[in-house]
Amino acid sequence: MVESRWQKVLGYVVLVLFLVVILLPFYWMVITSFKPTAEVAAYPPTAWPQRFTWEHYVNAFTVHHFGIYIRNSIVVTCLTTVIVVILSSMAGFALARLPVRGKTPTLVFLLIISMFPAIAIVTPLYMFMRGLGWLNTYQALIIPYTAFNLPFAIWIMRNYFLQVPAALLEAAKMDGASIWQTFWRIYVPLTTPGLFTAAVFTFVASWTEFFMALVFNSSDTMRTIPVGIALFSSEFNVPYGDIFAGSIVSILPIVVLVILFRRWIVSGLTAGAVKG
Amino acid sequence: MKPSMGAASVSEAAGERGRDILAPDRRSGYAMMLPAVIVILGVTIFPILYSMWMSLNDVRITLNGFQLSFIGLANYSTLVHSGMFWHSVWFTTYYAVVTVVVELVLGMLIALAIHRVQRLKNLSLVVMLIPWSLITVVSAQMWAYIYNGTYGVLNGILQGLGIIQAPVTWLGSESGAIICTMVADIWKTTPFVVIILLGGLQMISQEYFEAAVMDGANRWQVFWKVTFPLMRSSIALAALFRILQAFGVFDLPFVLTGGGPGTATTSLAILGERSLFQNLHFGVGAAIAVSTVLVVLILSLIFLSAFRGMAEEGA
Repeated sequence: MVESRWQKVLGYVVLVLFLVVILLPFYWMVITSFKPTAEVAAYPPTAWPQRFTWEHYVNAFTVHHFGIYIRNSIVVTCLTTVIVVILSSMAGFALARLPVRGKTPTLVFLLIISMFPAIAIVTPLYMFMRGLGWLNTYQALIIPYTAFNLPFAIWIMRNYFLQVPAALLEAAKMDGASIWQTFWRIYVPLTTPGLFTAAVFTFVASWTEFFMALVFNSSDTMRTIPVGIALFSSEFNVPYGDIFAGSIVSILPIVVLVILFRRWIVSGLTAGAVKG
Repeated sequence: MKPSMGAASVSEAAGERGRDILAPDRRSGYAMMLPAVIVILGVTIFPILYSMWMSLNDVRITLNGFQLSFIGLANYSTLVHSGMFWHSVWFTTYYAVVTVVVELVLGMLIALAIHRVQRLKNLSLVVMLIPWSLITVVSAQMWAYIYNGTYGVLNGILQGLGIIQAPVTWLGSESGAIICTMVADIWKTTPFVVIILLGGLQMISQEYFEAAVMDGANRWQVFWKVTFPLMRSSIALAALFRILQAFGVFDLPFVLTGGGPGTATTSLAILGERSLFQNLHFGVGAAIAVSTVLVVLILSLIFLSAFRGMAEEGA
């Protein structure tokens, strides 16, 4: 018993330390975004702002174009998420409950696809998009993001559909419902947690994606948030206060999602380990 | 949607013939999979195949678009004879191995220490998920500011403690830049590994531990004979995710170090991007892309088989 109490104390100490290490850099970023410009580059640095200011938040939206970046990110991310949720639930349902051939090869194939690094496809996609005149358009990001997020979403949806008894499908058929009606009216409402899990993962991945966004949409009016934030570095005197103000505004939606959907995110993250 | 609306009645008719009673359902199934399959094939498989073809060609940009002329393995030969390429392979592998090993070991120790803690669960979950969901570019800018050689807080703390005499340009030396990039990665990703490993730990029934302790096993034995074998699928999952991700590393060094100083932190993805969009060597860029995919596939196969052997020995 003495040992278990000792273990408990150790557990708390490690946990608190771990959380502090995770949070310290955030503290630094948030504090910096409220410091006056001179204090941002002061040495030695100040642990607490001598004077609080909103000037960086104003700059982010006036001097820089964070408003545009945020709008672009919202359009791309929301459309991608809606498309992925619809397509992956249809495909996941077919793979879970319909007698299609080659289920296992398809699922393995999806896993392999989801492992490919983006660099493998960016060049040809760039050439196709240039040919189609699609560079610096929303579809230039929505279509590849959809493709990259579909495999994982299909796996998630398939696992959720497998938990709904197959007997429901037979019963609905007896009552004269078509496959599509059964899918839409019976199965989809019973798998809303799966839909949310797939949606959150797609949302986070699309909101944070940088490589393709940089290559396909680099014009100033079509940049998404990550591209906007990254290209600040090219300036000689990096305006960290403005960067952090914009960054904090643009990570807020994700923080809200994480707080609301934490359980489902964890179940999604561990799904592979549980089922595999 | 229309063709399948009458699926039920068609199914009855087919049932009389007895042979292919499932055919209508199967057709609906294919129809439901079709849109996803088209998008995935069009955006991943077709471009990958085209990448392979491009890597065997000299690609020139003309006014009318791209012009390909077949040159066999010449692009690969350019790569094999390029010191830059081998340096990138070395850096990417070194980076992937070090970060993945550190993240797994650290993640395992933290997960073992905290998995019995009952309080603070919601709070710690949210805090651990935030780095995972953080835009990598944002964390790169954050660390660039922390490491800054003139006014960075890392210098401020170390000088305050008397460990260094004057501010150090951490990102200015090759080894410094490499270590700083790794630290930023470890900070962002260890929480993700902890969450996956905690998921695995919590699925192990408490009885196994109790039984092992009753049989007189010490902690070390409990870990290697009970915990580790039962967690191998969680560990394998975390490791595989991380290896694949680490091999595609782009965002963090692109912003934090720009691949420098010199070429010290130029990963394969950064090298590929450079040869495409700065030097316009599309054929060579495609060859880099294909090589990266090959390295990733080979490594994950080696890892999976090695891990299976190790886990079986442990059990």
